[in-house]
Amino acid sequence: MEENYLAKWLNNELSEEEVTKFKATKEYATYKKIVDATASMEAPEFDIAKAKHDLDHRKNSDQGGKVVTLDSFKKYLRIAAVIALVVGISYFYNTASMDQVVSTQYAERAAVTLPDNSEVLLNAGSKISYQKKKWEKNRNIVLEGEAFFKVAKGETFRVTTNMGVVRVLGTQFNVENREDFFEVSCYEGLVSVRYKEKDIELPAGQALMVINGQLTTYTIAEAQQPSWLLQESSFKSVPLKFVLQELERQFDVEVETKNIDLNQLFTGSFSNTDKNLALHSISAPSGMKYVLEGNKVLFYDETP
Amino acid sequence: MKADNINNVCEEEVYASIFSTHSKTIFNYIYYKFGNEEKAYDAVQEAFIKLWENCAKVSPQKAKSFVYTVANNLYLNVIKAEKVRLKYKEKGPSTEYESPEFILEQQEFKEKLDNALQALPENQRTTFLLNRIDGKKYAEIAEMEGVSVKAIEKRMHLALKTLREQIDGI
Repeated sequence: MEENYLAKWLNNELSEEEVTKFKATKEYATYKKIVDATASMEAPEFDIAKAKHDLDHRKNSDQGGKVVTLDSFKKYLRIAAVIALVVGISYFYNTASMDQVVSTQYAERAAVTLPDNSEVLLNAGSKISYQKKKWEKNRNIVLEGEAFFKVAKGETFRVTTNMGVVRVLGTQFNVENREDFFEVSCYEGLVSVRYKEKDIELPAGQALMVINGQLTTYTIAEAQQPSWLLQESSFKSVPLKFVLQELERQFDVEVETKNIDLNQLFTGSFSNTDKNLALHSISAPSGMKYVLEGNKVLFYDETP
Repeated sequence: MKADNINNVCEEEVYASIFSTHSKTIFNYIYYKFGNEEKAYDAVQEAFIKLWENCAKVSPQKAKSFVYTVANNLYLNVIKAEKVRLKYKEKGPSTEYESPEFILEQQEFKEKLDNALQALPENQRTTFLLNRIDGKKYAEIAEMEGVSVKAIEKRMHLALKTLREQIDGI
């Protein structure tokens, strides 16, 4: 047997042949039992909210003024950083001359400050483009993917997607636009969504969703911001297909399925930081099983 | 997250996101080492206070290894290790019938496993549990422990080997 073969076995790095050989040993049964048992173990509970609260308390008492004094400088740094990135991209791609483009890869996010100081947070696998120099004349942002907008007081602009247009005035809202999927959630103020020649007004706490051409509106459960900003992706009666696509974007994995109904509705959420936990949260409620190999995940159903 | 575009740990948003991503792992990491919840909790606090104090100097990419290093160094003057207690996740009501013998056997196995885990050298136990419970990749554990991936493979191998020998009584 290869050096450290037990470690390789746990990591699915053994060849089929080696696995067969290993399974034939008399020690295998106990190894399997140990691995199965440890898979269902848990560390003691860690109250992350309390820990953050305690930490914030200490941060503020240990060094009161520090946060405030550095703040404006930090803002400047961040804007400078974003501009640098954008220049880099337009240098390589040399797109339409004035366009500012910021895009994120899978498992990546970005923060952007617009010319009017509004903030945009881009989720994984997303892209925004806008005209920076002509911003005053053309306050329009083209979005592919998902982004959260914190609009500066008194400012207004449009977010254009291939599914619909969102107009805003001093507000906070989230737009998600993926293939066959369009969702707008308003967290503060008022936004107006133009979808198929119709204007729909969304006050704070309301959301709108279009899946395969079917439009529904619903109330957002007491949230101040979309859950992905808190490292969680949540869904309410969304076809499983879209949930798995989001999983691919968040962890940069490839999902395959076998005997799975991709149109079954999924309600729930998954962690954006803990891959195993995320896989578990998706598979358990739908009664699916999964195997993870490298960056490939296979979801399957054993019962025919 | 690659995130070269979110650029400063002093930004509360960036800082909070680093906290929510890594605090639980640090807690578990220190707990697996010493079996002391309070010390593990304090290690998280210390690591993130230090990160805040140095936020201008530490890039978001470096923040992860920074907090692990601080947490790690905190207890270099070895504190007395206590028993590491691990719970088993509650399973939903089982649909299969399980005989009392089977349940008893399970119970005994868990007890043996518990003792065997306890008896492992600290570095093997920590590595093994970070992989098994937290799903950390060997490369990530190597980064936390400041050793090579190969060394982590060795620890994993030895840990599993020793656990089996203890349980089977060889």
